[in-house]
Amino acid sequence: MSEHQEGALSVYRVLDLTDQKGAFCTKILADLGADVIKIESPGGDATRNIPPFAGDVPHIERSLYFLFRYANRRGVTLNLEVADGKKIFEKLVKKADVLVEAFPPGYMASLGLDYQALRKINPGLVMASITEFGQTGPYRDWKGSDIVNYAMSNTMITSGFGDGAPINLPGTPCCDAASIIAAISILTALYMRGDGGQGRYIDTSVHECSRLALYPWMLPMYSYNLNPGAPPPPPEGRLGAMIYPVYPCKDGFIRVVALTPRQWDGLVHVLGDPEVLKQPQWREFYYRIGNAADIYAVMLEFTTQFTMLELFEKGYQEGVPIVPIYSIEGFTNSLQTEARKFYSEMKHPVVGKFKYPGPPYKWSGTHCEAKRPAPTLGQHNEEIYCKELGFSKQDLAALRRSEVI
Amino acid sequence: MADTPLQGIRVISFGTGGVIPDFGMILGSLGADVIKVECHENPDFMRTIGADPDNIAGFNESNRNKRDIGLNLKVKKGQEIAGRLIKVADIVGENLRGGVMKSLNLDYESVRKFKPDIIYISSNGYGSGGPYSEYQAYGPMLSAFSGLLSLWCHPTDPYPAGANVPLPDHYASKMLVVAALAALDYRRRTGKGQFVDMSQVEMAANMIGEYCLDYTINERVPQPVGNRSPYAAPYNAYRCKGNDEWCAISVFTDAEWQSFCLAIGSPHWTREAKFADLTSRLKHVEELDKHVEEWTLQHKSREVMIMLQNAGVAAGVLYRPAEILDDPQLGWLNANIEVDHPVAGKRLYPNVPFHISDVTLPPSRPAPLLGQHTEEICRDVLKMSADEIKTLKDEGILEVSRRQQQEKK
Repeated sequence: MSEHQEGALSVYRVLDLTDQKGAFCTKILADLGADVIKIESPGGDATRNIPPFAGDVPHIERSLYFLFRYANRRGVTLNLEVADGKKIFEKLVKKADVLVEAFPPGYMASLGLDYQALRKINPGLVMASITEFGQTGPYRDWKGSDIVNYAMSNTMITSGFGDGAPINLPGTPCCDAASIIAAISILTALYMRGDGGQGRYIDTSVHECSRLALYPWMLPMYSYNLNPGAPPPPPEGRLGAMIYPVYPCKDGFIRVVALTPRQWDGLVHVLGDPEVLKQPQWREFYYRIGNAADIYAVMLEFTTQFTMLELFEKGYQEGVPIVPIYSIEGFTNSLQTEARKFYSEMKHPVVGKFKYPGPPYKWSGTHCEAKRPAPTLGQHNEEIYCKELGFSKQDLAALRRSEVI
Repeated sequence: MADTPLQGIRVISFGTGGVIPDFGMILGSLGADVIKVECHENPDFMRTIGADPDNIAGFNESNRNKRDIGLNLKVKKGQEIAGRLIKVADIVGENLRGGVMKSLNLDYESVRKFKPDIIYISSNGYGSGGPYSEYQAYGPMLSAFSGLLSLWCHPTDPYPAGANVPLPDHYASKMLVVAALAALDYRRRTGKGQFVDMSQVEMAANMIGEYCLDYTINERVPQPVGNRSPYAAPYNAYRCKGNDEWCAISVFTDAEWQSFCLAIGSPHWTREAKFADLTSRLKHVEELDKHVEEWTLQHKSREVMIMLQNAGVAAGVLYRPAEILDDPQLGWLNANIEVDHPVAGKRLYPNVPFHISDVTLPPSRPAPLLGQHTEEICRDVLKMSADEIKTLKDEGILEVSRRQQQEKK
C-alpha cells in the first residue's frame, strides 16, 4: 500500500509547538502526510532528554521518546521570546494551515502570539491549544504528569490487583487521549474551513479527554448502578484479574475473555473437557467474576499443560477468545506483526538504521507510513528559513549568533 | 457554511462492542447521520451482557447520536438493503470478526463496485492480512498481545492484571474518527474514497512506541517499572486517610521539591542530605515513599491534592465516578451531561470534549432501541413505500423494536 506518494493530508502544513501533551497529535497528522514543522527553542526541546536513550548514551538525538514521537517532522529552532524570533514565527504562521501548541494557559498571549493576534495574520489558521486542565476554569493553572493525569482519569483506581496498590499505565496515555481529541477537532475545523473559509480556535485539555479514551463507560455504569438484573461488582473496584482472567501456561501467561456461556464451554473443551470444570454455574460470567480466586486455583492445573500459542490457536478453533500475554519482543516477532509489516526501516543520522513502529492502520488510496526520522536539532533551518522564507545564509548565521535560532 | 460540522454526511455502522459503536457516536455528535445496523438474532454484543438489551450502561454510552435499523443480514435481500443504504452514504464502519463482512458481500471490494467513492473504515483486533486476521478479539486481549499489558504492573506482581478497562477500544475508535475525517477531506478535494484497515493491537503498540524502540534499537526487552519514574521522585500513588483512598504525586524539579517540603510542613526528614537532590532521592526512593505516605495517611486524598496543587506540585486523587462529578474543572467544562433514554431514563454520560470556536454541536440523542428507526430510515432514506416496508417486515428481513411493538399492544 506504500506506492502512493501523497498522504490524505499532504496539502496541509502544521506548525508544531507541542511537548508530551501534543506530540501524538502532530504525529497522527504527520503520518497522514501533513508537512509538520517542529519548532524548538535553540537549546532543544525538553522531550529530547527523556530516557532511555539509544545505546544508553544520554544525548539530545538519542531519546527513544523523541525518536518515536517526533518522527516524520521537519525541525527548526526558534526563540519565540525575542522580537526577531516572533517576526520569523509570524512568517511561518502566514504559510501554515494549523498550529498546535501545548504551553501553559496564557503563555502564547504573553508573547502576543495568541489566536486573536495570529488570526489577523492568517484568518484561515486553525489553532489548537493542548493544556493539562484547559484554558479557563478553577484548575487552569494546576499541574499534571503522567501518573497524576492517569489518577484523575478515574481509571487508575481500577488498575492492578484488588488488594494491592493501584498501578500506573505505561506510556503517556492521557496525553495521547488529548492528542487524538485535538486531532479530531483540527480535522473538523479544516473540513469546515474548506477552500478559503475561516479558521478556528480549539481548546483541548488532558484532564477532560483522558477518561474518554480510557474508560468512558465508568460514569454511565455508576449512573445506572450497573446493568439492572446483573449482580453488581462495584465498577471502581480493581477487577481486571477477575473480569479478564490471566492464567499461567508452559511458557508464559494467557488472558481469556469469555463473556458468553458458549465461550466458556469452548474454553473447557480447549483444556480437554475435565469434569471438574463442568460446573453449571461456572458458565455464568458474573458468577465467575465473583468466584475468580476459587476458579483460578482449579484452572491452573489445566492451563499449565499447554503453551501460549497452543491455547491461542485452540481458542480460535473452539470459539473462545484467548490471547498470549506478549512482551514487546513477543509482539515484535509475532507472525501477525511481520505479515502486516508494522515495522519499517528508518535511517537516522546519529542513531543509524533501526526498525520503527508504524501507524495503526493501512490506507488503500493514500500514503500512510513514517517517511523520515525525527529531526536532529535545527536540521531544517536552512531548508525552511532560506529556501522558503528567503533568508540568506549570512542572515542565518547572524540569527544563530544572536540566538534567535 | 454548514450549521454543524458533518451535516449531510451519512455513516452506516456495522459495529459491535466498543470500537465502531464509539466511532459512530462521535461522528454523530459532530452532526453526521449515523445508522446502526443490527437485528434481534445478531445484535451488538454489548446489548447481551445484562438482562435488558435496551438498558446497558456501556451500550447506551457508545451508541448515542444514532438511528438504528433492524435488518437481517443473513439473507441476500437483507444484504441488498444494506447495499442500498451504503449507496446513499459517505462512510461505512465495521468491526465484525475478520471475514464476516466478506461473507455478507459487504466487504470493501464488493462495496466499491457499486459505490466507488465510499470511505470504508474497518477495524479488526489483529488487523487484516496475517494469520490471526480472523481471530475474535476484545480490547483487553489486544493490549496483552501488543506488549502493553506486560509493562502494566508492579515489578513484584505475579502477572499483570491490567484494569477493568477495554483498552485500547476507545483509543482505536477515536483514531478511526481521525481517519474518517482525513479521508473525507481528501475526498472533498479529489473525489476519491478509500479503505482504512486498522489493527487494534497496533493501536495499543502506538501507545508504547518508545518501548518498542528499546527493543529494536537497544535489543532489550522492556520490563515493568510500576509507579516509579526515572526522572521524578516522589512519584507514586500514595495511600490517604480512609478506605482505599489514594493520591498520585509527582515531583520533578528541585524547585518543586522545595515547594513540596514546605507544603507538608517541612518535617525533619526532608532536610536529610539523602533527599537533597533528585539523584539521591531516586537512590533512596523506598524510604522516601514511606515518609511521604506517613504524611498522606493523615489527610483525605482531596486535601492532599489541593494542598499540593496550591503549592505548585502536581497531585491528583485516584478518582471514582462520584469524584468526577464533584470536580469543579469538569463542571466548568460541562464535561458530564444528562441524557434522557426511553428505557434507562435520565442518566449521566461523559460529554464529547470538543471546544471549537464558532461551532455549536447538536444536543446529544439517547442510544436507540434495537430497530427503533427501521421504518423512518426505509421511508426517508431508502424511499420505500409502506407496502414494501410491510412485505419486508413480514418476510423477517426488516425488524422493528419489539419493545415498541409491545407498548403499542
